Amino acid sequence: MQRATAPYVLILPSFILAAAIILWPLKEIISLSLHDVNRFGMIRDFIGLQHFRVLFADPDFIAATWRTLFWTASVVVGTLVISVPIALILNEDFYGRGIARILIMLPWAISLTMTAIVWRWALNGESGMLNSALRGLGLIDTNIQWLAEASTAFPMQIFIGILVSIPFTVTIFLGGLSSVPDDLYEAAATEGAGSWDQFRLITLPLLRPFINIAFVLNTIYVFNSFPIIWATTQGGPANSTDILVTYLYKTGFRVGKLGEAAAVSLIMFAILLVFTIIYVRLAMREAKS
Amino acid sequence: MTIRQKICLLAGASLIAFSTSALAETTVRVTIAEYSKGTGPYFEEAAKAFEAANPDTKIQIEVVPWDNLQQKLTTDISAGANADLSIIGTRWLLDYVKEGIVAPLDDHITPDFKARFIDTFLSPSVMNGKVYGLPIAASARAMYYNKDIFAKAGIDTPPATWADFKTDAEKIKKLGGETYGFGLQGKEIETDVYFYYGMWSNGGEIVKDGKSGLDSQAAIDTAKLYKSFIDEGLTQPGVTSYSREDVQNLFKQGKVATVITAPFLSNQIKTEAPNLKYGVAPIPAGPSGDKGTYGVTDSIVLFENSKNKEAAWKFLDFIFTKEQRTKFDKVEGFLPVNAEEAKDPYFADNADLKVFTSLLPNARFAPVIPGWEDIAQTTSNAIQKIYLGQGDPEATLKEAAAKVNETLK
Amino acid sequence: MSAKLKRSILFWILLSPIVVVILFPYAVMTISSLKSATEVLTPNWWPSELHWQNFPEMWRTSGIAPALANSLYVSALSTALTILVSIPAAYALSRYQFAGRDAFRQFLLVSQMLSPIVLVIGLFRLVAGAGMIDSLNVLVVIYTAFNIAFCVWMLQSYFSTIPRDLEEAAWMEGASRWRTLISVFLPLAVPAMVVTAIFTFINAWNEFVIALTMLRTEGSYTLPIRVFSLVAGRYTVDWHYVMAAAFVASVPVAVLFAWLQRYLVRGLSIGAVK
Repeated sequence: MQRATAPYVLILPSFILAAAIILWPLKEIISLSLHDVNRFGMIRDFIGLQHFRVLFADPDFIAATWRTLFWTASVVVGTLVISVPIALILNEDFYGRGIARILIMLPWAISLTMTAIVWRWALNGESGMLNSALRGLGLIDTNIQWLAEASTAFPMQIFIGILVSIPFTVTIFLGGLSSVPDDLYEAAATEGAGSWDQFRLITLPLLRPFINIAFVLNTIYVFNSFPIIWATTQGGPANSTDILVTYLYKTGFRVGKLGEAAAVSLIMFAILLVFTIIYVRLAMREAKS
Repeated sequence: MTIRQKICLLAGASLIAFSTSALAETTVRVTIAEYSKGTGPYFEEAAKAFEAANPDTKIQIEVVPWDNLQQKLTTDISAGANADLSIIGTRWLLDYVKEGIVAPLDDHITPDFKARFIDTFLSPSVMNGKVYGLPIAASARAMYYNKDIFAKAGIDTPPATWADFKTDAEKIKKLGGETYGFGLQGKEIETDVYFYYGMWSNGGEIVKDGKSGLDSQAAIDTAKLYKSFIDEGLTQPGVTSYSREDVQNLFKQGKVATVITAPFLSNQIKTEAPNLKYGVAPIPAGPSGDKGTYGVTDSIVLFENSKNKEAAWKFLDFIFTKEQRTKFDKVEGFLPVNAEEAKDPYFADNADLKVFTSLLPNARFAPVIPGWEDIAQTTSNAIQKIYLGQGDPEATLKEAAAKVNETLK
Repeated sequence: MSAKLKRSILFWILLSPIVVVILFPYAVMTISSLKSATEVLTPNWWPSELHWQNFPEMWRTSGIAPALANSLYVSALSTALTILVSIPAAYALSRYQFAGRDAFRQFLLVSQMLSPIVLVIGLFRLVAGAGMIDSLNVLVVIYTAFNIAFCVWMLQSYFSTIPRDLEEAAWMEGASRWRTLISVFLPLAVPAMVVTAIFTFINAWNEFVIALTMLRTEGSYTLPIRVFSLVAGRYTVDWHYVMAAAFVASVPVAVLFAWLQRYLVRGLSIGAVK
């Protein structure tokens, strides 16, 4: 293998595959967003940015955008904050660690769609097992109608979102922690560093790239996450739990405005792109300093 | 016949079968929306029976969950990969007809064939004088009531008017416990329809003279009426978290005394809550005696781009025979659409179904308008806001009506 | 009390809230799957009688067996394919400096940002244009494409932690670059490969939107679609069967975790050797 061409040959298969499957559909979406499209995807006149103008004039869309940002921030930050200590614990040697690891991974074993359906069933006001458990424990005495209003439904959805993001995040952190050599800690311990100092000075910096990965990827996944909100409330009641993906799905596939839906896709893409660029810049600058 | 001859004959027969299948076999793809767990098996069986009679045609059944039907049809059609036949909601049909997606069936329909149908159910699929679909499923809505709860509250007959209904619900509330008079749906598909029940009783219409009826006095009165049920604790709490299935479940458990729904609930009660004593009654009337029920049909349509129209039609002809229809409607608990089928004692002597059929003269079918789902969504959102107390009924409905009028333009 | 025992007790106490919350939906699922059709609507925690027959009945009526096989096929194959194309790319990123390296990394990140649901119409047109609807192999290719970015990223950051001196030592001894890669480098990278394989497998196992759009016939349905179709928009839902199906669907992955968990620990400790 020629040294100069070697890396290109190595990256070629992955590049071709990803480009074909992802860039070509993207091109389609862009074209849909700039044309008048009937409800069956037949493209008609070029209408420029008309779809975008319609969207920005729709208060439901604006509200969904803000809600998406709130949803993403809450779930991602919540997940990271909970996952770091869990990963630290699971990285230690203790009785039943294997079982503990499996338990933490468990939410991953059912598809998100199914988890969301099970939760919907559990959150039912009159026949839900959550209410009956809480009543059994004496925590409440009348049933809470979890999904009837955004004020109870949305926090619950965020909670489920955090729960299902933990396995992924903890696994990444565990991978990161295992690459931290033990002798660093031993050296630090002989120099008299306490466990908090060890965490702050050794673990956290070495975990940094993994936290970055987890942060960026979780943001992307949560931002685009569909099943939790769809299966529990479909964005209702009265659009009060809509995020951009559910808004997109309703606009595109229920109401049949494919052009507007494509525009929503692109706006979502743009938001993520801007976020990631900023974040990667910041992370790189930090890594250099 | 010797064994040798037999073998020759068999070989010859299989050769012929093979060659015809290799030469002339056409595959008809049929998209089936799943009503219940019986839907897929029924159609598979029907396809087998059809194939046995028509060895040159293969039927490929593609079962899709209702919730994803629109998405699947949209993506399929946009890529030209749709099936030959598909079940769709008749309420969407106009959109399909307008875009030239579905083919008219008139060339195939003989007077004999047409005579098979009960006209009420065929007519919603007729547009611009042409038949664009055949009613694969039909239902109407009526009020199921729990006889035990009614008796306990000292009520002898199901309510005739909404005013009676409210008094009854108050009596049921006095029984105490977690039993509610009015099972009110406030979530997901048909939230709007549940509101229309009351609106029709008050003399309102979904669309009148090309304008939304949501800002009519009838609609506003209905919103206030329903809201008063909610505020006075006569419905289950948290109505906006109960979909149609959820409310039906409450009814099966005896937690709500009434629910307005389709005939298929009877089948469910038979298997899931066999001890429940219930009756079926018309939806209560309004102050001036107006009555209304929702008539719904789903249509099976033939796509314009189908290359196997002849074979597809044959299959349609087959599944709309009396025998096949009877099987299907028994599995699903729908109303018969076939006049001969309706005479089957299973349907003719069924007390529950009799109530439903008796309501048909008053039934409103979804109006022939474009963008039904868009309007349904706007309406449901407005109603949810009112149920939640987040909007004044009059102002919210007026706003929604303006939005609907935009869609209707 | 030994230090380890004390530590164990403390850790389990710390973990208990999250474990309870994680187990809650499983408990709901398990209990509901054992209730009778009439009882499943009542939210009691202790069914009056256990309906074990729900499982065989569900198995018979719901067509879950072929779906299970399909899901295993798609997940295993896309995992293998993803690892296969990701390793060279990750190796190139971590061991070579070349023009376009950053551009490639950014391209990968961007490709992650487009979720299937956003692209589904375009994707479907692509597949339909190629006349490959209802093919499980198409799913394999698509899942691979969507997982490459993550795998390459993950592998690359892990590869970068493997010290170069190990490879250089092997080169000194006259081993070819290729041989070094196979016999020295990759064995060290096993834990990272296991982790990324798990990710890919699970993503493929749980993927819903693409499978729903691309697959047509019951015979090719994957598990999420099969189970979802028991719930979505039917006029009545047999919740006890749904829960039984969900339970069955989650078992293979849980077993996979239990099995790989040991492997993971062993692999991780090898990886930690300097």
